[in-house]
Amino acid sequence: MQMGFYFNQTRCTGCNACRVACKDWNNIAAGPENWMRVQYSEKGKFPDVFVSYMIAPCWHCLDPVCIPSCPSEAISKRKQDGIVVVDCDKCLGNEQCDEKCLKACPYDAPQFGPEKGAKMRKCTLCLDRLLDGKLPECIEACSVRALDAGPLDELEKKYGNIKQAEGFTYSKRTQPAVVIKPKSNPFQ
Amino acid sequence: MSPETIHSTQEGVKIVRATSAFDCGGRCPLKLHVKDNRIIRVEGDDALEPDQLRACQRCRAYRQYVHHPERLMFPQKRVGPKGEGKFKRISWDEALDTLAGELNRVKKTYGNSGIFLATGGAYIASLHNGGFAAARLLAQFGGYVTHYGNISSEGAVWASLTQYGSVMVGHSREDMLNSKLIILWGWDPARMISGTNSMYHVIKARENGARIIAIDPRYHDTAATVADEWIPIRPGTDTAVMVAMAQVMIRNNLHDQAFLDKYTLGFEQFTAYVMGHEDGVEKTPTWAAQISGVDAVVIERLAREYATTKPAALMDCQGPARSAMGEQFNRCAATLCAMTGNVGRSGGSAAGGLMGIPVGHMFRMSAIPPGKNPVELDGPRVKGTLDIRLRVAKRVHINKIFDAIVEGRKGGYPSDIKIMWSMCNNYLNQTANSNKAARALKKLEFFCANELFMTAQARYADLLLPVTSTAERADLTRPWPSGPYFTFANRALEPLGECKSDFEIASELAERLVIKDFNPHTEDEWLKLMVDLNPEYQKHITDYDKFRREGIHRVEMREPYVAFKKQIEDPDKHPFETPSGKIEIYSQRAADLDNPSCPPIPKYMHTPEDRSDPLVEKYPLQLLSPHPKNRVHSEMYLVEWLQELEPHRAWLNPFDAHARGIKDGDEIYVFNDRGKIAIGAWVTARIMPGVICIFEGAWYAPDENGIDRGGCVNTLTKDAYSGGGAAVMNTCLVAVEKA
Repeated sequence: MQMGFYFNQTRCTGCNACRVACKDWNNIAAGPENWMRVQYSEKGKFPDVFVSYMIAPCWHCLDPVCIPSCPSEAISKRKQDGIVVVDCDKCLGNEQCDEKCLKACPYDAPQFGPEKGAKMRKCTLCLDRLLDGKLPECIEACSVRALDAGPLDELEKKYGNIKQAEGFTYSKRTQPAVVIKPKSNPFQ
Repeated sequence: MSPETIHSTQEGVKIVRATSAFDCGGRCPLKLHVKDNRIIRVEGDDALEPDQLRACQRCRAYRQYVHHPERLMFPQKRVGPKGEGKFKRISWDEALDTLAGELNRVKKTYGNSGIFLATGGAYIASLHNGGFAAARLLAQFGGYVTHYGNISSEGAVWASLTQYGSVMVGHSREDMLNSKLIILWGWDPARMISGTNSMYHVIKARENGARIIAIDPRYHDTAATVADEWIPIRPGTDTAVMVAMAQVMIRNNLHDQAFLDKYTLGFEQFTAYVMGHEDGVEKTPTWAAQISGVDAVVIERLAREYATTKPAALMDCQGPARSAMGEQFNRCAATLCAMTGNVGRSGGSAAGGLMGIPVGHMFRMSAIPPGKNPVELDGPRVKGTLDIRLRVAKRVHINKIFDAIVEGRKGGYPSDIKIMWSMCNNYLNQTANSNKAARALKKLEFFCANELFMTAQARYADLLLPVTSTAERADLTRPWPSGPYFTFANRALEPLGECKSDFEIASELAERLVIKDFNPHTEDEWLKLMVDLNPEYQKHITDYDKFRREGIHRVEMREPYVAFKKQIEDPDKHPFETPSGKIEIYSQRAADLDNPSCPPIPKYMHTPEDRSDPLVEKYPLQLLSPHPKNRVHSEMYLVEWLQELEPHRAWLNPFDAHARGIKDGDEIYVFNDRGKIAIGAWVTARIMPGVICIFEGAWYAPDENGIDRGGCVNTLTKDAYSGGGAAVMNTCLVAVEKA
């Protein structure tokens, strides 16, 4: 089974409640380490403007390139749900290995704190919450209900099969576990 | 699985059902995870959809606010010069003796009118509220002078009372699902939480097929998400466009004459003004286009679309009404609603700017009875009056607090203010003209602030008293505009450090001022009493313990609330609460004011610091100061999780930026005769040329040259109010240069 995300780009206002809730639940200080990011895009000229947002968590790819990039085999993909997890005890830290996982990932999902030697951490799809029968915290925090998570095949059945959007390119190589309702860009 | 179940690593964690009490239009159930007197996590509402009331990013960062390392944890007294921000820790005994001593000294030397009480909205709750405890104490001490009005909504309040005789002018947000057209006129619920879930309902309405038009100088977050069309408009000219829309409707006979005949008063006088019979100027789309910058063709099309699409909801918010003739905006919007027959109609709207429904509204909240203020006893009767001049006979308009301190009686104010006691506010930062405010605070003989943080204003205090946060207290909480629900914020924490609530502080002062029986009840007793004695709670809450345990009581509505539905369905049995019993497009009460800035019918008028003011040569840009998304006004300013969401930068159109050699990210100076701020530039096509936008609430921080490095927008705004009492924040001219 493969878990994944659904993102309804047409609803996202860029409020960042998902990002703050993620930091609260996972106890991450303000700063460079953001397991959930919200990316902004603005196109056009006044008064014809197009604005969109794209969430950027870890997409728990079907073929995660971070795993072979890691020199210490700290990253693995769980068989039972496809969630990509990192063993911080095995991670060499950003000074010793030069953030190879981050360089490999087309989505910049691996995250590092500001301190020297910081170990890689990233979105776990709130594995702790999933085990408790709850949805990831970002999803429950979205005040406009633009997010969902679940088995990828079920998400595809429910929301369709689109995997492209403004600010997001589907990597055929890594195959991110995502379904998107994209906002149509009049300037494309 | 029970919603209370949490992960096994969370042993020893208790879940406390609460809400925050920030000065916010939302009020969202929170589940606070508490361990060792610390909130370690925040979860949101766990009701089943569609009833879930989802908190926004601000309360998601609630624990970083409550446990912020810069919280004030003990009483302090000033040791350096006033305003320098140097303080020394003292005991509560010394602090309370000092404050009691100053109150007694001023009373004896100058009389009670030398005491100014500055209350506020920093926490909106029944027991621990904006200053009712202090008001009660000072009333029993012989009186005090305080302020009138609120800095946000006076224009809308005046307009709604004039037009409808009521401030309950809103619909349930769910009712937007019945709208075919929604006009967001100065309304951005994605950023300004105008009722929990409001933005969600706007999105649902659009998904349900409603067309959405945003009229605003900015392509704001809501417009960027849902608007089918953005109509950029110059600040302060909204009323001109509305008047021209009325002209199009009248000329083409698109208005609902039967509705106007049956329910309104004074459409003839309004028509005479609109068609130019009154002043010889017909208010055509071409006339409005020159004023507003909106193309005449667009105005014509907008008028036709609004008049012929039914039902249509004109959602006029309070921002455009925070201006030099602000009340005209909400009155004119309400007049258009009547002309199109959208008042009292599902899917329509009554406008009026307040958007509240009478279930769980902040205006009907319980509070500690403050008692009569002896200083105001011989003042004019102000209940129900539209005359702001009477309102400020014994009080000071909120946007004039600091001018009153500087000018005193000789400036026409009710007293010479000698000392100020303040709580639940940061008015230096949040009312206009911060530089003048700083001068005023330095002039005071004594200034005591009850505070949670060393805010811009607190730095000017002589005495600082540390106050608990809402998480350290139990209370009944409400949002500004709408239920339909009631919340109970359970106490999550024992008070941190040496913090006390405002009520405890007032109670301990009462002993020192020899005021007996000041606070006869415990916190729990007060809260129970407040529910027992409030008819609205009594109507809905039958089981107090359950309400308290669950932290919320949701009111089931058979159908969405629609303002004035009864008045429209049966006008004889349910007249409007105006003197005529009708919607007053012409108001005799306004005519009786004999104040040219408050005409009896809504009108567009030129004002100082609009674009026709010669001052525009010197200060060519119009400044807007909307709500920020990473704080609640100036509350939560220091919360890092929120600060990092969006740098504090000024929106500038590429045209204006290029003309000044400014690139995105450059530091710029924004200035006028009132002050100068330093801030980063965000060059964006989302704002029209000639307009600059700086979100309010960043903390004032003047350097040695008087340049505000904190980028507090009110360093630039004007400390004045309109005829209807609106603070004129959005009528402000500035110049910009590269730093």
